[in-house]
Amino acid sequence: MVSTESLSWIVSQFKDTKELTQKELEFENKKMTVLYIKSLIDQELFQQYIVNPFFEMKTEEQFRVYLTALPQFQEVQSKEEGLFYVMEGNILVALQENLYAIDFKLAKNSDVNSTSVETTIHGSELALSDNLMTNVNIIRSFYHQPSLIIEYYLKGEVNKPKVALIYDQEKVKKKALEIIKEKLQQIDKQIITETPQFNNFLNDKRFSLFPQMILTERPDRVVYNLAGGKVVLLVDGSPQSMIAPAVFFDFMTTMEDNYHTLFISYYLKMLRYFGIFVCILLPGIYIGAASFSPEVIRTELMLTIAGSRMGVPFTSFVEVLFMLFFMELLLEASIRLPKAISATAATVGGLILGTAVTEAALASNIMVIIVSAVAISTFVIPVNEMAFAIRIVRLFLIVIASIFGLAGLTLGLLCLIMYLVNQSSFGEPFLRVYNYGKGDKKSEGQA
Amino acid sequence: MSRYYYYLILINMIANIISAVPTILLHYRQEGAVSALLVGMVLGTIIVFVYTKFFNAFPGMTLPELLVKTTSKWFYYPMLFFMAIMWYIAGVSTLITYTFLLIRYLTPDIPIMLVGLTLIISIIFGCFMKTDRVLYTIEIIFLINFPIIVFIIIKAYTNESLNWDFIMEAMLHVVEMPNLNVIAACIFLSLGVVNLVIFNRFFTNKQNFGLKQIIVIAFIAGATIFTTYFIPIGFHGYTAIEELVYPWVATSDSMRMRYFLIERLVYVFLLLYLVMAFLSILIHWHVAVELFKFIFKFERMKYKGIHYGYLIIVLFFTVASLFLIVTLTEYQLFQYSKIFFNLTAVIFFAMFFVLFYVSRRMKGADNKDSEN
Repeated sequence: MVSTESLSWIVSQFKDTKELTQKELEFENKKMTVLYIKSLIDQELFQQYIVNPFFEMKTEEQFRVYLTALPQFQEVQSKEEGLFYVMEGNILVALQENLYAIDFKLAKNSDVNSTSVETTIHGSELALSDNLMTNVNIIRSFYHQPSLIIEYYLKGEVNKPKVALIYDQEKVKKKALEIIKEKLQQIDKQIITETPQFNNFLNDKRFSLFPQMILTERPDRVVYNLAGGKVVLLVDGSPQSMIAPAVFFDFMTTMEDNYHTLFISYYLKMLRYFGIFVCILLPGIYIGAASFSPEVIRTELMLTIAGSRMGVPFTSFVEVLFMLFFMELLLEASIRLPKAISATAATVGGLILGTAVTEAALASNIMVIIVSAVAISTFVIPVNEMAFAIRIVRLFLIVIASIFGLAGLTLGLLCLIMYLVNQSSFGEPFLRVYNYGKGDKKSEGQA
Repeated sequence: MSRYYYYLILINMIANIISAVPTILLHYRQEGAVSALLVGMVLGTIIVFVYTKFFNAFPGMTLPELLVKTTSKWFYYPMLFFMAIMWYIAGVSTLITYTFLLIRYLTPDIPIMLVGLTLIISIIFGCFMKTDRVLYTIEIIFLINFPIIVFIIIKAYTNESLNWDFIMEAMLHVVEMPNLNVIAACIFLSLGVVNLVIFNRFFTNKQNFGLKQIIVIAFIAGATIFTTYFIPIGFHGYTAIEELVYPWVATSDSMRMRYFLIERLVYVFLLLYLVMAFLSILIHWHVAVELFKFIFKFERMKYKGIHYGYLIIVLFFTVASLFLIVTLTEYQLFQYSKIFFNLTAVIFFAMFFVLFYVSRRMKGADNKDSEN
């Protein structure tokens, strides 16, 4: 390995820019060349651990041994590897015809974030960070098993971020791991910036509604799923991780379920499932009952609904779509708005629109209640990805209910369940009932 | 036994409460229905026992696969074709019954073609799912609805209007000669087990099938038959029951939930049975589709990567069902159902010989394999 040749090749790659710094140091018959990108390295470390010792040590050989002893030390095998190390924030040291890389990467994004999407009352408030190595550090320090495997890939042809694939070798579902690795090889994208993109990259289907991987920012969820035999994907620069394979019930659990007492956690789970049914079915039931078969609901209630609809010029279908449309707009707007204005949006949308719409007789009072109930119950779904999918499913069920009434709504729900069961997430059926009591003793196979 | 096995039997029993079965049972109530119920229950349990024993001996194998190994082409192709038609009819009879029910009770202002089409479209694509996915669907939907079933049963048995004197009166007719039509209808309730001809693909491990399981199944069969026959009589009286076309819908309409959002139980009942009919048709048509796929090898029919073979099945199922829905009347449906039940009862007993032959040949084949 001739170091000067490699060095000049690497320098020639950067020929038109001023990013790269090259320094020849020569002192008392010691000689070395360093190569680094100034904005990427920690300059204090560089001075303390490389520059100072270079001038203090007696011989070149002593300095070389000192360098190899550094924990950040790595030997460079080829010039392409050298180029990669420089771009990553290493310092290349050419010494006695040898080329070494010392990792003095300066990462300003390595602070651990606090949870903003999956907040809980019990449990940790800390989320993952934007820095891959910090995240790996967090996961490793939460998961003490020698069987934990971390594999690194470079994906994205232009920006080449580091992608980490993490799994427990002994517990991982072999079939899912195989599929994920195979699909990772097939990715050919120019730019990869965030982990959630992998949800689409690893998915063969062009039209898919439900997410096949869970997006999470909580280290405890990552560790919990690693122990459950799942695979975790991390991308450098993204504070979120993807977990695969994911089944429907994963999207309905919060980590808090494990931190509560048994009855409380069952109660909360029940509440959540009830919420998801309300959120999908309530608008459809309203349409079916108000427009198709008013005799289904008990008479007193139906009279109240009819009375409240008095003066409303639309059919129940238009009324529901009208109100839902504004609710969805409000939801979408409040995500994009700066925090200072979002309070105004809530007031305008919730209070003014809500009351004004009923006073102008564009929607009934009961409709406003239903829309707000639906909106609230959407927020009960713990993982955000699922909430988005459910919002679309709801529209679909509203359309069916307006064509075919309550029977159509029931059929639509059955079809939804059938669709969910037919989905697979990396070889696992997306929705099925698991029998935990039986352990591994299964009396049937897969067909 | 695996829990999925029980779903196959249970769904068939529960779903038939809305089909012509209760009408047939109640129609012959003075011509030997009660004794026929007992005979039918015993024969039904025998069928369950024989079919389960047979398929349990060949875990993971479907009947077409077994027939290919043991019989020749001229025998198994016509037989499987005939079976596929049978399963199609079983599904379509439930479909037509439920379409009539919907038109009558829930959506009277929607054209009958549209009702039928909606039902067919929502089910037909599910029939092409893999067998294990069909079973998972069944399980989830069944578990969601199970509390409602239990609620309706409790509600029926604890209702004040249920007059046990009528039931006693009906029971007195036990001494009459059993009626053949009623026996066949009773046997049809237990025929859910025959779906194993395809669903056995899922049970790849040898199942544990002994006295305990038989007792459970016999008990379920007995309870279902008792409820199907005697509860409507208890509500409406021994003579008045004659005038009802759908005895069970009328029975559920006799119950009332005084404090609930929905006051008349009949709507809960109708929506519950929409679900049960859906599951029953899904099971039957899945078997029919799989058998047709085996006979005509639809997966080989390809044009530019599109499997148009499956389209043929979808079209055939849709058009034939719609034609039947439009042409049949309720009375004809009742008559044809009776014939169909009689036919199935005879055929599935006659199939015992085929099963016996197959299992003998399979034993021979196994021995030959081990010798080689």
